[in-house]
Amino acid sequence: MAENKYKAPGKANDSEMRALFIDPVPDDRKVEEALKHLKYLVEKYRPLMLAMESCTKCGHCAENCHTYLGTKDPNNIPTNRADLFRKAWKAAYTVEGKLFGGLVGAEPLSLDTINKMYSYFYQCNECRRCALVCPFGIDTCEVTFAGRQLLHWLGMVPKLQASVGAAMYRTGNHTGLPKPGLVDTCEFLEEEIVDETGVDIKIPVDKPESDVLYIPSSADFLLNPNTMMGAAKFFHYLGVNWTMSSEIAEAGNFGLLFDQRHTMRHNTMRLLNEAVKLGVKKIVWGECGHGWRTGKMYVPSMADRPIPVPIVHLHDETSHYIRTGQLKLNPEANNHPTTLHDPCNFGRACNLSEKLREVLTPCVSDFREMTPNRERNFCCGGGSAILYDDPVMYDLRIKFSAKKAEQVRATGIDQNGDGYLVAPCSICKAQLYPMVEEHKLGVEVKGLIDLVGTALYPPINE
Amino acid sequence: MEYLVFQILPYITITIFVLGVMYRLGKWASARIVHNIVLTPAPDTVSGAAVNYVAEVGLFRSLFKGDKSLWAGAWLMHFALLNIIGGHIVGFAFLGEQFKFIGTSPELSKQLSDILGTSMGILIFVTLIYLLYRRLSITEVKHVSNPADYLLLFLLLSIVTAGNLMRLMPEYSIHYETAQAYIIQLATFQPVELHQSNILFTLHLLLVQLMLIVFPFSKLMHLFGMFAERWIINRPYVEPAPGLPGAKAGATTNTANVVSGGKTTSGGV
Repeated sequence: MAENKYKAPGKANDSEMRALFIDPVPDDRKVEEALKHLKYLVEKYRPLMLAMESCTKCGHCAENCHTYLGTKDPNNIPTNRADLFRKAWKAAYTVEGKLFGGLVGAEPLSLDTINKMYSYFYQCNECRRCALVCPFGIDTCEVTFAGRQLLHWLGMVPKLQASVGAAMYRTGNHTGLPKPGLVDTCEFLEEEIVDETGVDIKIPVDKPESDVLYIPSSADFLLNPNTMMGAAKFFHYLGVNWTMSSEIAEAGNFGLLFDQRHTMRHNTMRLLNEAVKLGVKKIVWGECGHGWRTGKMYVPSMADRPIPVPIVHLHDETSHYIRTGQLKLNPEANNHPTTLHDPCNFGRACNLSEKLREVLTPCVSDFREMTPNRERNFCCGGGSAILYDDPVMYDLRIKFSAKKAEQVRATGIDQNGDGYLVAPCSICKAQLYPMVEEHKLGVEVKGLIDLVGTALYPPINE
Repeated sequence: MEYLVFQILPYITITIFVLGVMYRLGKWASARIVHNIVLTPAPDTVSGAAVNYVAEVGLFRSLFKGDKSLWAGAWLMHFALLNIIGGHIVGFAFLGEQFKFIGTSPELSKQLSDILGTSMGILIFVTLIYLLYRRLSITEVKHVSNPADYLLLFLLLSIVTAGNLMRLMPEYSIHYETAQAYIIQLATFQPVELHQSNILFTLHLLLVQLMLIVFPFSKLMHLFGMFAERWIINRPYVEPAPGLPGAKAGATTNTANVVSGGKTTSGGV
């Protein structure tokens, strides 16, 4: 079968696609439909149009893309990834492509290319390092966005993304936790905090008359409980009147990753609606890279009405309180060699790199920068939630993180087996947990607010 | 043949070039910047963004940070190219005597023009050869190249070679006066008078026209793409209401100052 030619994550079936309000297009009509979508997308988005029409193929992006570095698959060179679109665009809609065809790199769209798109657009981490290094600033991430949008309209979405999208419609969080489950989990975490610190710290859900609506990544309930507890300790320490909402207990927005139209808008409006219903005065965003990119950069263009309250990131808050001296931290509490992995979305899309350092350095006694860092950092290899577990894709994920492993090793924090690799992003964490095992790095993956929670001084139990 | 290249083709070339570029730019302009995709860290003032913009467009800063040898090849090539285009224009206009405006004698000015023109011609030839060598020798670059990428390099190299040979071989050179008269005749729609038969000049002019015809339908449009794309990702970005304090004091309904500082939300574009 043609589909098996390319490594690709398992596809959502028809009923799963209908849960996302998409009627999958049958194979014999895919090319025709895809060409329509292609024209629509390229003619609508200028960054995409420019990626189609002004790349000079200098090849500078190749050595700067960790997916190419990790796999040496030429199709993972960013400009070649964009070529999946570019070739079809040139062949169908440009003068030169119609006249000269292959000579100018045009190739009519085929079902095979569509399957190839499904494979390689879901091997892109959307980390934007190519945009950073491109002499023209061509952002291949925009091509991946458009590619995944087109595939979504054709009914080709990985099971993972589709199930997360559907869970969001159903429950308001990605893990599909209904309200009772959410409350239970929070109570369990409250008990954990009491065991650890001896202090009764509440993790409120749907608490009326709150000032702050905190939206955690839903992975923090199960996968990264220390992050949830760290945030609770932080709010408790400052005496903030905060709550979470069972309607939207999710910092992530998978709309950004596979459907920037309905799904992204739905998730955005769900949040803004809930902020008004709860009457909060501010929304604080949890540790989630792509989610905060959506929150900071896309909410203004997605919201259907003026944004009712300020939206800030948790680390905008922590760094503010550190600067004003209200948050006192004891670096000895985290006495481990520590390095920081800058999540791509924070570094290259949200301008958060410096703030992460402002927060981290007072929390730890031994902080070492990895190289490159800040906006030049390499992606963890899980970016854009390509966190697939089937053996073929899992193997790719680990290859994508080869560069990251190399960077961590170069800092030397893993030598005694007690290093901390701080990654304030749920997708990074989910990727790095298995990655540090596979690459045999002697480090523990931590969230940033986890360390803030531990370093609070005077210790929270006094 | 010469009648075609000198008298007919130039009008066709200019028409295709101008209309073609306008068509492409119009197509780009009708696409929108829907979301704010500025690359961070971004400056929060227009002047800060202007510095970045100039550094990128004028000095190829991103390339410099990433790949020094490609930067050297690419930047020097474009530097020489700009000098050569400028040299052609002032040569036509001032017959090589433009440096007298900075105090040289007309003779010295002509000598300077010669030295500058010849050295820039050699520089662009060398850098183009390097870029071609790079395209042929680096695996990744080979992987991404289309036939057209090589053809354009060969086209540029041929134009440059013909031009350099005209400079280096006196019997094939064209005098400033001849060139100026030709341009004026063309521009005023008069019959052109080129008495001498000069195969190199014919070739040079033919290939340049071919390049201009191909221009709007090729990656040469990256000239405009550079300015357009940089304007999307190197814009200023104003932080959300800086240092928003704790919950109570942070309450505000001033939506203009919420997520984006109101300044660079893409809706304004």
